[in-house]
Amino acid sequence: MFKMFRKAVLGVAAAGCLLYAGAVQAKTELTMYYPVAVGGPLTKIVDGMVVDFMKENPDIKVNAIYAGNYNDARIKALAALKSGKPAQLSVMFSIDIYDLIEQDAIVAFDDIVETAEEKAWLQSFYPSLMENGRTMGKTWGVPFQRSTIVMYYNKDAFKSAGLDPNKPPQNWEELASAAKKLTQPDGSRWGIMIPSTGYPYWMFGALAMQNGQVLMNSDGNETFFDHPKVVGALQFWKDLGSKHKVMPAGAIEWGTLRKNFLEGRTAMMWHSTGNLTAVKKNANFDFGVAMLPASAQRGTPTGGGNFYIFKKTTPAERKASMKLIRFMTSPERAAEWSKKTGYIGISPDAYNTPTLQEYVKTFPPAAVARDQLQFATAELSTFQTGRVRKLLDDAIQSALTGAKEPAEALADAQAQAKTLLMDYK
Amino acid sequence: MSVAALFPSRLRFGDWLETTAAWLLALLWIAPLAYAFWAAFHPSEYSTRFDLTAPLTLTNFTDALSQAPFARYMVNTFLLVTMLLAAQFILCTLAAFAFARFEFWGRDAAFALVLVQLMITPEILIVENYATLAGVGLIDTILGIGLPYMASAFGIFLLRQAFKTTPRELEEAARVEGCGWFGVLWRIYIPIAKPTYLAYGLVSVSHHWNNFLWPLVVTNSVETRPLTVGLAIFGAPESGVDWSIISAATLLSVSPLLIAFLLFQRQFIQSFMHAGIK
Repeated sequence: MFKMFRKAVLGVAAAGCLLYAGAVQAKTELTMYYPVAVGGPLTKIVDGMVVDFMKENPDIKVNAIYAGNYNDARIKALAALKSGKPAQLSVMFSIDIYDLIEQDAIVAFDDIVETAEEKAWLQSFYPSLMENGRTMGKTWGVPFQRSTIVMYYNKDAFKSAGLDPNKPPQNWEELASAAKKLTQPDGSRWGIMIPSTGYPYWMFGALAMQNGQVLMNSDGNETFFDHPKVVGALQFWKDLGSKHKVMPAGAIEWGTLRKNFLEGRTAMMWHSTGNLTAVKKNANFDFGVAMLPASAQRGTPTGGGNFYIFKKTTPAERKASMKLIRFMTSPERAAEWSKKTGYIGISPDAYNTPTLQEYVKTFPPAAVARDQLQFATAELSTFQTGRVRKLLDDAIQSALTGAKEPAEALADAQAQAKTLLMDYK
Repeated sequence: MSVAALFPSRLRFGDWLETTAAWLLALLWIAPLAYAFWAAFHPSEYSTRFDLTAPLTLTNFTDALSQAPFARYMVNTFLLVTMLLAAQFILCTLAAFAFARFEFWGRDAAFALVLVQLMITPEILIVENYATLAGVGLIDTILGIGLPYMASAFGIFLLRQAFKTTPRELEEAARVEGCGWFGVLWRIYIPIAKPTYLAYGLVSVSHHWNNFLWPLVVTNSVETRPLTVGLAIFGAPESGVDWSIISAATLLSVSPLLIAFLLFQRQFIQSFMHAGIK
C-alpha cells in the first residue's frame, strides 16, 4: 500500500514537472497516435520520420505513439479525448470519418488551411484517395497509409498451365477461364483465392464496383446492398467456388492467404498492396501484379489510414499539426514510405520523385496500384460504420458458405442497414 | 458369472475411452504451442510444411527482437504483474476477511455491490477509467495500468469462500492463545487458504500478463508498455501476418510463464483442486 501511495505521489509530481517545463520553453508539443496495419518495422520508420521533422522544426516536439491496430487506435484516441488529455492528431482508419464527425472529435482541414499554398497542398493528392476523407462538402482526412486491392499471380504457374504469363486476365470471363486452367484436379493448386474473412466487405467493394455499382452514397447515409448489380457481384464471387470450382468453396482466410500464394496453393490472389513488399521478399517463383479484372468496368476500393486533426486543439497546435502532416505527406517522405511499406505513394508528385521513379523502373509491379487509382472508389464507410459493415460481412459470408442465396442475404442486410441509417437522413 | 465377467471389461473400455479423450484434448491444447515452436525455429518457407530435415534457425528471434524492445517490455510486464498481485493479495484478503468474519450494517448489500463488478466487462470502463487516471496524473505509468484491477471482485469472492469454510474452532483456539484479529488472520486464515492464494495468483498473473487493450490505451512510452503491446506490432491485420516471426515473438512473450508453469505444474494443479476452480 505504501509503495503504491509513494508511486502515486511521484507520478503526480512528475506530471507537474512536465507541465512546468512546457510552460517555460513555449515549445508546441504534439501527441500523435498511429496504428500499424501491415507487417515490417513500421514503428521504426514512423519514429524516424518524426525525428527528422523535429530536427527541421526545433520549436515543435512530437510524441509519436504506436496505438495498436485501427480499432485500438480509435478507442485510444476517443478515450484520451474524453479525459481532457487528448492527442492533437492521429492516423486512423479512413472509414472512421463518420464516427469521428458524429462524436464531434475532428476538425475539417478546410477550416485550418490559410494560405494559397496550403490550399494547393490539400488538392495535391490522388482524388480517389480523398473520397474517404471528404464528406458533406469538407475534407476531414488527409491520406497517409493507403492501399488498394491488386491481383497477385504466379507467372510460373501461368506458364505451366499454358497461359501467357504477361497477360493476366482482364475481365471476369478471362479470370474464370484462366483460373479453370490453373486449377489442379487433385486439389494441390487452386486457380484463384479472394479472401472472405477479415475484410470481406472490402473485397466485395471491388467486385461490386467492377459490376458497375458502388456500395454507398457520399453522405454516408444510404447503402445500395440490394442493387441488382451488387447481387450479381456476389453471385459471381460465389460461382467461382460453387459453379466454376476454381476457388475453395466456403470461407477463405485473410490472414493465411499470402502464405497460400507463396506456397503455390493458389495461382492468383486478390490482396492489399500492403503485401507487396512481403511477397517480393518471400516469393521463390516469378510473380506478377495486375489490376483487378473488369466486368462492366475496372474497380477497387481504396483502403488504409488518414491523418485527422482533433477539435480540442489550440490554434498553435493546429498550425504545428498541419506542419507535421505536410511534412509526412510531402512527395519525398511519401515516396520513401511507399517504397519501404508497399503503401501507395499518395500524390502524383510522389511518383515523380527520383526515389519512386527508380523503384518503379527496377520493380514495375510497384506502379500497378498507382495506375489502378483512376478506377478506384471509396471504401465502405457510413454512419454507424462498424454495424453496417458487419451486416454486409455477414451477408457475404452467409452467401459464400451457402447458408443463404446472394439476393436474399443482401436484401436482408440492406433492410437492416436502412433502419440503422434512418436517423442520419 | 457372465455379469461379473462383463464388468471389468466394461470398466476397461471406460478407462480406455477416458484415456483417449484425455490424450485428444491434450493434443488439441498443445497443438498451437507445438506449432509456434515449429514455426519459430524454422525459416518461413517451412512454417506450414512439416519436414524433419528442415534447417533450424534463430533469425526469426533476432528479427522479432530487432523490431521491438522486448527486454524492456519484459521488465515492465514483470513489474506490473508483481505489483498488481501484491496489491490484490492485500486488498482482497482484508476485504474478504471483513465480509467473512465481521457482522456490520449493510454487509450483504456491500458484498452484492462487489459482485456486480464481476458482471461488467472491463472494456466498457476504458473511457471512464482513463479519465479517472488522467485526473490523478497516472496516464502512462505502470501503476496506472494496474490500478483499476487492484480491488478484484473475483479475488474477494474467492478468499471470502475460503475463509468461510475455515473451522471456527481453529480461530477460537488461537484466541485462547492470545491472538487479536490480525493475529488470527495471519496465523490461521491465510495459511489455510494458501491453495486459494496460489490458484488466484496464477489466474491473476496469466490474465494480466496477457491483457492488451487497456495497457495499450493507457500507456504511451516504451518505459511503461508491457509485452503484449510489443507483440501486437506483428499482428499486421491489413497484410496478413508473418507466422514465423509472430511465433518467435509469442514464444519470447510467454516463455517466463511457460517455464514457471512447467516447474511448478504439480503445485498449480493441486491448488486448483483445493480451491475448486476448474
